[in-house]
Amino acid sequence: MSLKAEVLFFCLNEPFSLWRVRGGKSLDMQVLSNIFVRFLSDARHFQIVFLSLFLTYGCIDLQWIQYKAHYIVTLSLALFISWVNTFFNAPTQQWKSNVISALGICLLLHSNGIWVSALAIILAIYSKRLFRFRGKHIFNPANFGIIAVILITGEAWISPGQWGSSGVLAFFFGLAALMVLLKVGRLDISIYFFAVLALLELGYKTFYLGWTGDVLLHYLSNGSLLLFTFFMITDPKTAPQHPRARILWSLLLALGVFFIARVSYLATAPMWMLFFLSPLNVLFQKIFPSSDFKWTSSSLGHVHPQKTASKEVLSNS
Amino acid sequence: MKNKAQWVSRSLLLIFALQLSVPSFAFCGFYVAPAGSELYNDKSEVILVRNGNNTTVSMSNDFKGNVRDFAMVVPVPVVLQEHQIKVIDRSIFETLDKYSAPRLVEYYDQNPCGQYLRKTLERAESMPSRMIMEDMAVMDMDYNVKIEARYEVGEYEIMLLSASESKGLQRWLEDNDYDIPKKAQEVLEPYIRSNMKFFVAKVNLNKMPNGDYLSPIQITYSSPKFMLPIRLGMANSKGAQDLIVYAFSAQGRVECTNYRTVKMPTDRNIPLSVEPVFGNFYKRVFDRAYEQNNRKAVFLEYAWDVSPQVNVKCDPCVGPPPITVDFQKAGVDWVNTSRNPNVFFTRLHVRYTRDRFPSDLQFHITPNQERFQCRYIMTHPATGDMSCEAGQEYMQNLGQRQALEQEELNVLTGYSPNENRSLNQYLNEEMDFALPITGSKNDGGPSASTPIPLIQIALGVIALFAIVYQLRKERPEWKLAKM
Repeated sequence: MSLKAEVLFFCLNEPFSLWRVRGGKSLDMQVLSNIFVRFLSDARHFQIVFLSLFLTYGCIDLQWIQYKAHYIVTLSLALFISWVNTFFNAPTQQWKSNVISALGICLLLHSNGIWVSALAIILAIYSKRLFRFRGKHIFNPANFGIIAVILITGEAWISPGQWGSSGVLAFFFGLAALMVLLKVGRLDISIYFFAVLALLELGYKTFYLGWTGDVLLHYLSNGSLLLFTFFMITDPKTAPQHPRARILWSLLLALGVFFIARVSYLATAPMWMLFFLSPLNVLFQKIFPSSDFKWTSSSLGHVHPQKTASKEVLSNS
Repeated sequence: MKNKAQWVSRSLLLIFALQLSVPSFAFCGFYVAPAGSELYNDKSEVILVRNGNNTTVSMSNDFKGNVRDFAMVVPVPVVLQEHQIKVIDRSIFETLDKYSAPRLVEYYDQNPCGQYLRKTLERAESMPSRMIMEDMAVMDMDYNVKIEARYEVGEYEIMLLSASESKGLQRWLEDNDYDIPKKAQEVLEPYIRSNMKFFVAKVNLNKMPNGDYLSPIQITYSSPKFMLPIRLGMANSKGAQDLIVYAFSAQGRVECTNYRTVKMPTDRNIPLSVEPVFGNFYKRVFDRAYEQNNRKAVFLEYAWDVSPQVNVKCDPCVGPPPITVDFQKAGVDWVNTSRNPNVFFTRLHVRYTRDRFPSDLQFHITPNQERFQCRYIMTHPATGDMSCEAGQEYMQNLGQRQALEQEELNVLTGYSPNENRSLNQYLNEEMDFALPITGSKNDGGPSASTPIPLIQIALGVIALFAIVYQLRKERPEWKLAKM
């Protein structure tokens, strides 16, 4: 029975049978656990849940509810495009990636008009088809969409201060990221990037300039920086695959962000750096050849990617 | 007739509902009272004008002692030339404050029984704003302090200093009668290291203009840094300080990049009783918003396109909108050079303390053109004969509406009706924002030692590396590169 049929059957016919034991074994529990295992098996599900939680938090606590029209349009457009793309041989699982991009845009981009947000998500999704090298897209879709509309329309901007700075925020972002990235295996990028940036800033702000420690902590606990660190640069489809390339990539990003911030005092330096360094992925692919990352989504739950690669993997471009 | 009355009452209710749900719906309210910047005790006002890398900062000073003791030290990014320093008239601050202050507007319900009764009321109480700032300044050779320039501008004797170390600068300032707090040294050091210069001013008593106030100083410079140094000012202040920033840009709103920029509650319907105490009411609304945002947000109080070619510059206007003369005074230089200049005005209100605002305020310009004003609405009930059916219905709804207004008031100000003090007493109370900070009180000490969290940072980094190392070792499948 397919997953959809299982859920439908479960919901319509036996909503209360969950607790009924048949022959010492709860069949419906099995169905439910199967659904749960399927949910656990794909890191993108986690990512969607966490990013949605962040967005909900922003709407409830940070006055973002005023942008609800932007959010609704961006998210529904992402789903609509995914649906349309299925008629053009796009993988059925692509909606997950698109929703993640849409959530990323919702969390980071502000604009004067809904059409700008809509353009951002369209550009984000189609950048994956336009800019490819050896079957792998070059730019992080959300990052591309955001930077592209800022450059093209001049009606969009990023508000780096929108999250504020807080240790609690850092903790929850970190925790959420840990759960996603442990599944994807890209925690190292976040850690290297953040550690290098923290060390550079520690050296500069605290030791060289002599600011008190709270100035550094205030900088490092900025919500936008944390979101960028844990959820944007770690995208396994666009970050380099080879372990050495990943180290180099995070180092370059951290150095770039640090120096750009010193020279131009640009508060949105991380987003710009990621955009301009993304073409380096082509170089990384040549120097450190490695196969492409595949999102795994299987009925077996937490599975070995190598084992599932041949049959269970639903590739997502 | 009955139908008509019903129709009228329904439309009135509809208009009222619209007003509740679509607050930005423009209506002809009458401006009643502003809540200007004079409400705050320890406050500064700054006009920030930014165009490309050019910045003009005008600083208004509410120095309240003997002008003989007045001195100020402001870190600036470059050595300023004489033409880059000006003394300006205080009126520009008053104009901007009055134009953009949070406002109470009123309007009148129409009698649903057909009697039109409409009064207009306009009471533009002018509330003069006052001034700001930090203190100190002077020189010598063995202090390692270099006097880069020395000017006399208006009533001020101004020097631009560069220093190579904070101890020398601190001694120099002390020896030259600049009453600088001891703890300022740790803040001076980072500014010196960031290659900032120090703009130091004292008052020349012979040149004091008539009147007991000091003129605002305006400086212009070119630097990619778009910030306001608040740390030095916190070295000698014991409590929270209010800073009102009037910012001009050619693109759109100015917002803070390292703190949250939050809109003040606006377009709320409040009871008529607030009118005589509107100033205190707003102050309490601000206090409450400040608390609710953990005392670490920057508040937006006004944002509007004030370009000369734009007709609607406020709705309703509290004070006259800034015109070309005001732009020139404030340093908005692009109005002279372009034919259809865009000028966007933003008013930000920051209440900062040492513990919640460790870093200087950094700003950036966004293309955000959305208008915003901090507006509270009171509605006079209709008067006259209410005997018709629509009138009866109106009276019923009026009771509900007034209850809602009272509720709104309580929510906004945090007043609880059960308390045994009246609303007026509550609004008049001074809120205490004394700092919960450790540190030497003698020096006004919040800038005192905040230890570098080196150990915590190091442990965190080591722990994270350990996690990654372990994971890679135990679960080689996560090395997806080998796939």
